[in-house]
Amino acid sequence: MEKSVPAVKVVDVHKIYQLRGEEVHALRGINLEIPHGEYLSVMGPSGSGKTTLFNMVGGIDRPTKGRVFIDGVDLSKIPSKSMAWLRCRKIGYIFQTFNLIPVLTAQENVALPMIFLGVPKPEREKKAAELLRSVGLGDRLDHRPTELSGGQQQRVAIARALANDPAIILADEPTGNLDLNTGFAIVQLLYRLKAERGTTVICATHDLKMIDISDRVVFLRDGMIENIERRRALTLTAEEFESD
Amino acid sequence: MSSKEEDSSMEIGSISFPVTEAFRYCVESIRKRFTRALITAISILLGIAFYVTIRSMNTILPNVGQQPPQAYQMLMAIIALLVCGVGIVNSMLMSVTERYKEIGTIKCLGATDTSVLEIFLIEALLLGLLGGVIGAFAGWIAAVGIFSFQFGIGGVFPAGKTAIVMLQYLRYIAEAVGISVFLSVVAAAYPAFYASRHPAEALRYEI
Repeated sequence: MEKSVPAVKVVDVHKIYQLRGEEVHALRGINLEIPHGEYLSVMGPSGSGKTTLFNMVGGIDRPTKGRVFIDGVDLSKIPSKSMAWLRCRKIGYIFQTFNLIPVLTAQENVALPMIFLGVPKPEREKKAAELLRSVGLGDRLDHRPTELSGGQQQRVAIARALANDPAIILADEPTGNLDLNTGFAIVQLLYRLKAERGTTVICATHDLKMIDISDRVVFLRDGMIENIERRRALTLTAEEFESD
Repeated sequence: MSSKEEDSSMEIGSISFPVTEAFRYCVESIRKRFTRALITAISILLGIAFYVTIRSMNTILPNVGQQPPQAYQMLMAIIALLVCGVGIVNSMLMSVTERYKEIGTIKCLGATDTSVLEIFLIEALLLGLLGGVIGAFAGWIAAVGIFSFQFGIGGVFPAGKTAIVMLQYLRYIAEAVGISVFLSVVAAAYPAFYASRHPAEALRYEI
């Protein structure tokens, strides 16, 4: 394997939005390298550019300036069809609001990304069922999102993100809509999947308790990286933060 | 600085989303959102029925000896067209807009702009066709029914002119179905295309 190529490389990324004629600098020069298999947490107050950064890395928005590489591939240089394939095959998305398709059952939701890769139906269904079992929802295959609790919905979303065995999981505040214990279970699940599959996980969070399990934590403020810390040094900081 | 320089062995594949899958997705979506789809279809249906009724009157009225001024007939047809057009566009726009987040999500899951358009245009086509065909016949039957009640069947299908009149009715019906399908598809295409091109925005969208 190409160990030298990072899973994600962000080079001097700027993003400027036009909001009612005014320029909003959401990102002001982000540089970041994320090796394969890392669990990276991105922290920062709301409005610090977390979601914007996720959109850049996930290829759902383009930077105003700078480049994003996924597995060495420059996202600005590939056509939109290849972009779609990359989103489908290489990246798994997890959202704060779960974003399950309301009319589809848990199993159909998980099978959906496989449709776009042309996986035949019986195979899709089988794999979706396996994935749901692996997140502890083996008995909920035919339930619609509205029939599931928040934590269960997020589990379905995680299973869906894993459907095409992505190299990178992008989780934008996955615990933001969940209570503390459910949220903690979700983060632990993400960590377990990362450990089992060697998937790179990039997870935005507000919650200082959740960062214990990350390998590194990036602190964003006003669209810039304020600080990057390894896990060890971090425990202390977290306590300091909390005593504030 | 080419991407080759630090290229990995990654080979970029391609997305396959055959029309049959798009069709299946639409049918599922209509089936499972049946009430919502029904409301959209009914609002299309009512607009089209109104249009066909007004158009049919243009044929019926002279036959029963009532000849309203040409300008008045024109005006009625135009108003009918506007009412039905605005109704169809509105209900189609609404039904796609409330699914912005779904569009953003399926873009993340690997849908291309073309797959998003396929899904929503096929759905609009089906609803437009359903609402259009049922609405057109309902409107025609309403016009024929009301006038034959007042003037007898001869007023609606005058002896000797049945074939000509029937052709005219059919023309109105075909016209109405065409309008229905066209407006539904165009009204759905705009928001679907927009959301598909701006997935980040679509994902943030809350109704």
